[in-house]
Amino acid sequence: MPDLITITIDDVEYKVPNGMLLTDAAKLINIDIPVFCSHPKLDPLGACRMCLVEQDVRGRWMIVTACTIRVAEGMKFRYASPAATQAREDTLEFLLINHPLDCPICDKGGECPLQDQTLKHGPGVSQFQEIKNHKAKRYPISDLIMLDQERCIICWRCIRYLEEWEDKPQLGLFHRGDRSVIDFFPGQPVDAKTSGNIIELCPVGALTNRVSRFRYRPWDTKNIDSICVHCSQGCNVRLDGRIHQLRRVVARENMAVNDEWICDKGRFIHAFADAPERLTTPLIRDHKGGELREAGWEEALALVAQRLAFTADVQGPAAVGALGSAKLSNEAAYLLQKLMRGLVGSNNVDHRGGAAVLADPRGLSAIRDVEQADLIVLAGVDPAEEQPVLATFIRRAVRRRGAKLLILHPRQIEDTRYPGAYLPYKPGQEAALFEGLSRGLLQEARVKERAARLAGFADLVDGLGNAAVDAAGAEAVRLMLSAQRPMILYGPALVSGRAAAANRASLMNFALLAGCVERTFYLAPEANSVGARDMGLLPASLPGHAAIGDAPGRERLERLWGVKLPTQPGLGYDEMLEAAAAGRLRALYLVGSDPASQGPAGQAALQKVDFLVVQELFLTESAKLADVVLPAVSWAETDGTFTNLERRVQRAAQAIANPHSQAAPDWLIFTEMAKLWPAVAGEAKAEGKKSKRKSSGAARQWGYGSAAEVLDEITRAAPMYDKLSWDALGDEGTQWPLADAAGSPLSAVASRRLTPPERRSVAPGRDEYPYALVAGQVLFDYGTLMRQTEVTERVAAPVAVSINPADAAREKLAAGQPVSISSAVGQVVLPVRLDETVQPGTLWIPYSLPGAPAETLLGSVSAGSGARVRIAPGALSSSEKVG
Amino acid sequence: MTLLTDATHNKIRELMARYPQPRSALGPALEAVQQQLGYVSEAAMVEVARLFDLDAAEVRAFVGFYHMLRQEPPGAYHLEVCTNVPCLLRGAGQCADQLKQKLGIDYHETTPDGLFTLGEMECLGSCGTGPMVAVTKKQANWMRYYEQLEAPEHIDAMLDELRQLADVPAAQLPAPERVAPGAADRSTGPYHHGHHPETNNMLARIDQPESHTIASYEADGGYALARETLQGKTPADVLETVKAAGLRGRGGAGFPAGMKWSFLPAGVYPRYLVVNADESEPGTFKDRLIIEYDPHQLIEGIILASYATEASHAFIYIRGEYFFGAQRLEQAVAEARAKGYVGKDIFGSKKDLEITVHRGAGAYICGEETALLSSLEGYRGHPRLKPPFPAVEGLYSKPTIVNNVETIAQVVHIVRHGAAWYRQWGTERSPGFALYALSGQVKKPGVYELPYNTTLRQLIFDYGGGVIDDRPIKSIIPGGLSMPHLAADKLDVSMDFESIVAAGSSLGSCGIMVICEGANMVELALRTISFYREESCGKCTPCREGTGWLKKILERIERGEGQLGDLDTIERLTWPIERQSFCPFGPASVWGVRSLLKLFRVDFETYIQQTNPSGQAPVLPVRPIYRPDTGEPAPQVRV
Repeated sequence: MPDLITITIDDVEYKVPNGMLLTDAAKLINIDIPVFCSHPKLDPLGACRMCLVEQDVRGRWMIVTACTIRVAEGMKFRYASPAATQAREDTLEFLLINHPLDCPICDKGGECPLQDQTLKHGPGVSQFQEIKNHKAKRYPISDLIMLDQERCIICWRCIRYLEEWEDKPQLGLFHRGDRSVIDFFPGQPVDAKTSGNIIELCPVGALTNRVSRFRYRPWDTKNIDSICVHCSQGCNVRLDGRIHQLRRVVARENMAVNDEWICDKGRFIHAFADAPERLTTPLIRDHKGGELREAGWEEALALVAQRLAFTADVQGPAAVGALGSAKLSNEAAYLLQKLMRGLVGSNNVDHRGGAAVLADPRGLSAIRDVEQADLIVLAGVDPAEEQPVLATFIRRAVRRRGAKLLILHPRQIEDTRYPGAYLPYKPGQEAALFEGLSRGLLQEARVKERAARLAGFADLVDGLGNAAVDAAGAEAVRLMLSAQRPMILYGPALVSGRAAAANRASLMNFALLAGCVERTFYLAPEANSVGARDMGLLPASLPGHAAIGDAPGRERLERLWGVKLPTQPGLGYDEMLEAAAAGRLRALYLVGSDPASQGPAGQAALQKVDFLVVQELFLTESAKLADVVLPAVSWAETDGTFTNLERRVQRAAQAIANPHSQAAPDWLIFTEMAKLWPAVAGEAKAEGKKSKRKSSGAARQWGYGSAAEVLDEITRAAPMYDKLSWDALGDEGTQWPLADAAGSPLSAVASRRLTPPERRSVAPGRDEYPYALVAGQVLFDYGTLMRQTEVTERVAAPVAVSINPADAAREKLAAGQPVSISSAVGQVVLPVRLDETVQPGTLWIPYSLPGAPAETLLGSVSAGSGARVRIAPGALSSSEKVG
Repeated sequence: MTLLTDATHNKIRELMARYPQPRSALGPALEAVQQQLGYVSEAAMVEVARLFDLDAAEVRAFVGFYHMLRQEPPGAYHLEVCTNVPCLLRGAGQCADQLKQKLGIDYHETTPDGLFTLGEMECLGSCGTGPMVAVTKKQANWMRYYEQLEAPEHIDAMLDELRQLADVPAAQLPAPERVAPGAADRSTGPYHHGHHPETNNMLARIDQPESHTIASYEADGGYALARETLQGKTPADVLETVKAAGLRGRGGAGFPAGMKWSFLPAGVYPRYLVVNADESEPGTFKDRLIIEYDPHQLIEGIILASYATEASHAFIYIRGEYFFGAQRLEQAVAEARAKGYVGKDIFGSKKDLEITVHRGAGAYICGEETALLSSLEGYRGHPRLKPPFPAVEGLYSKPTIVNNVETIAQVVHIVRHGAAWYRQWGTERSPGFALYALSGQVKKPGVYELPYNTTLRQLIFDYGGGVIDDRPIKSIIPGGLSMPHLAADKLDVSMDFESIVAAGSSLGSCGIMVICEGANMVELALRTISFYREESCGKCTPCREGTGWLKKILERIERGEGQLGDLDTIERLTWPIERQSFCPFGPASVWGVRSLLKLFRVDFETYIQQTNPSGQAPVLPVRPIYRPDTGEPAPQVRV
């Protein structure tokens, strides 16, 4: 209950919360005091002088700024008095004298506070009859944002946002007096990952969106509430569409998820929704080696249904597999696995980053919990590149609440600039690193005492040995022990690949010893990484995380779906590709999955299958190999729900529709395909061979008329989604309960058991492959969605291999020089880039660069994020070619 | 490879170590860069940013704020003529014209031989010795004022000397002590100064040879007071004495110093004392005398004030143009430190006191206390919100007392003689005596130490020797350029805070400027507003936009395109600028112009009627741009 006090505005008494800024308090009582510099998300400044009111100061009425006054008992104000009204008029008159008033062509027109307030509070006529000050117009401050210094009214919002939220003061006020301008340092344009928020913060048209400039009028667009699907945070956005095109993406406030910020990828990378290269019609290849031809839906769907059913029938259901994607909506993921399990009868269903990742289904307790932590451990994650808005919250915790960061990462990521400790490691050293930290923790008597009660303690102590802890490790241990509210965040890189189990065990040991296991959270990478798992888009787990072998869980679904389900776990992502390459998997259904883009191994596997279906937005590398290509629509063109990294189920509603395209939503494609499913395959599994009716019993369960109806079934299939509905999700979504995941074997809190460390042999081949390759996510790469816009060329990570300058000097490599890099499984050629943040002895290549160099060197897609490589100057010579 | 030499790097690191937070050294570091390169290039900004772990944009924003930091390389000598009102009244216009003529260049140009770059500068604190030129030697830690340049031969003498010195190594350049070149008969010591027979305290020593040395100061009994006080009295004793004396701050607002000190929150340490030596108010040059000729008096005052306020670190923020003064202060602090008066456990009191001399870099607004703190922390000198007041959250968010140089100097005499002694002069509410800086068209401009109840007439005629050529007085500015003008009928007003307010102005910083009949009031108003437009920090709307607008109107009137209605607009605009600005700069920027209009409106009307008899309205170029241009960015316009 807030402490209410009484203030007087224009002789009327109001009860308002004590200590609130007057501008905010006035809003509560429906007095809308105009502001420019003031913003609820930025510290008070008091610079623009728009919010002027009169205050009774010891009997004298003084003009004061409402945006800087915190209300207290008995304060008296006048808002509507002649003096206060005049004061606001005067400020507006000043603001407009040098403003160009080019409203007719200004992007902000129609949603411009300067226009609105001039209408409401302006003087009506200007006395100004001088020449206006001229400053730079059409002045790019980055590849994404255009500045018009003449329109700028110097409210400092952009400066303050970059300073207070990004901690990147890349914009400043330069010069002084009426020559003051917002500017950046020559050659160092704004590159903060959430820079686009300053466009929305700008109360005039000074900062405009270079992707959307002149492409919309705010009153002309149809605006739909949605969420962003570029990463796992699920930032709330509004999609502004016009004539079937997505013209602009803006942020939407959701305090729990994204405050009111979105990152630059979310804001600027949406051209893929309208790209002319989009698939608009089904394509069929009539015979291997032939060309893809356009086809109707009926023909394509019937063909797919028949061929998949036939393959399952003849070769056995295990010869059919499906690869989905963590970018698919819950509805699409759910129906894909239902189709595979219920109609094909196969558990061969997975997605990239699925079964290969030992992901804790709890995800993050709540996004904004990071702001309450006093120590944040970032283990193998780089939120600044992976979840940039989450990264701003972490920075707030550091700068406003004094939180420290303990960063364990192969690369000296940006946030290592903050107080705390940075422990570098090379891929393969993760477990050893945590074991070292565990040893350090155990040197503390109280840790030892507490841990002695845990199962497996003696074995752990034995296994850890008593090697010394180095200075950086000791500092990390000290930080951990002195923290009151530590939080450990780790990402997929740490719990995937060959050493996933050992890494995870060593991390959990460390968390248990530190007494922090409840606050150890997995940061899922993709928009629906959590949802895809919840939906059972995995080979060994059903919707709601029931294991395949868990009979009650399986039977529940059998009743719901009216089919018998296979009882043996299926193949995972890599296993399916390996099986395909070996000829064991004969039909493969790819939905939003593109293994061919991930190097030669994936391409070879796809070429081996008898029947390849690709359901996609674009003719991807994989689609080019397909027998049938089914055109899907993007998240903006259909309804869907996504479950973010904090288990929040959120709606993404349809915003646009292309009338010239036959592309269809995933859920509808699956539904229509099921209707055409021949009885033989599905019924054969469930009921034994009885009859050959046109439509099977199982297929009769596929009568979805909308995505909402699919969600309806999901709420019955996955217990944690119980009681959700499209309508009830509302604008802000709903988190499913943390406790619902506690029972999962991958949950950090599932077992309070210490695990003895694995004996590891020394990695072989160090001399042959002296460098460790580090691959990782960057915000702007050349992924399929990124590739659809020319913006990518400007902002994406350089296509290069980064090397520490000391290593480069030793290898006699100069920046820009092409080098060939080879691992045991592949070889690529890239130019060299010198980068001090890359630790000596490692090479850094982001995922999803053109030609997939990182993926090629890593080999299988779930090999983890590291491989041993060697580097040699010069281009690839034919004799060295591998594979 | 770095652009900056090891010596510069070392210097910057040494500067950073002087401050509790290294960013404070940003301004001094850039000054060090300028000593090496002659200006601050973009490459240098990048390097400095790296040293300070800042974004390069922060450094460039900082450089763009301070006028002494140059972004273009100047000639071997940068000559900057003060053209502000006090110098204007003493012939700065002719001085500048002669310089342009002799050098064959205009402002912001460099002579073909690369020797001289000419610029104009706002008030440099030489109001009693104008016209003047401040000379900075490129790539040398050397700056010198050439003052009393009243005739062409004085300018020749200055230029000759500079040419001769062109190749002299920095170390052998003459001391930057005040000079009046080429005129043996003219004043070569400190300013004209004088005092009431009984109030010869703060300036009592300045005529002595070597008055600035600790030997001289101690020979006159200096530091005995500090020793006695720190050994025998409590901080509360000192605070009570200062409170009882009713000492009012000398920076301009006249806020009682003792009361300010008592606002410090109990038990919060460290506390800082910041001495405001950013004497930039045009017409004010009193602190300069103490700083240059009796710096130990200031240091003893700092010791006493720090003791009273329990401050452990004192900063003297001195305007960058007071190069000589800063040198003297540095030297004096070093002497005091050598004697153990500054440092650990001073005078055996178990109290520590650090004193850091911090040079500003040319921004008038930094005289405002919160802007000063921003600047001292290494930021652009933008004023901050109050509350919190500096006494509660000041420098580095710690309790901080900001006092003017003279206020601190006064403390020495108050503590020495007691509150009752002090209160025998002045009035009940403005007790004691003050340093009055007299400038403008008087015979003996200078600094006079007089009781607060001295009248304007006494100052101008008894001490200042009357008006040049005995012309009639037209107008008087009684408290620095910011304060409203008073007409000649106010000559018998006593120069205490209350009486001056009652007369329609304010005592401000006690800078009294005298303007005779014959002065061009349009020119005076334009020059006044030009100063504020130049110095407006740009933070808030009314001041930033309003001062620019007022200047444009007055410029238009001056070039003969004025209309009578413009005068109403000027007057109207002054009110919101006064009432709605963020900090006291707003009111300060318009009081002068508004009072000129009020007192001498006829002069303005006459000027307009004579220069634009038909009352023709200005012709405005119209430049509408309404093409949605998505093409390549326009050529970058750097403002």
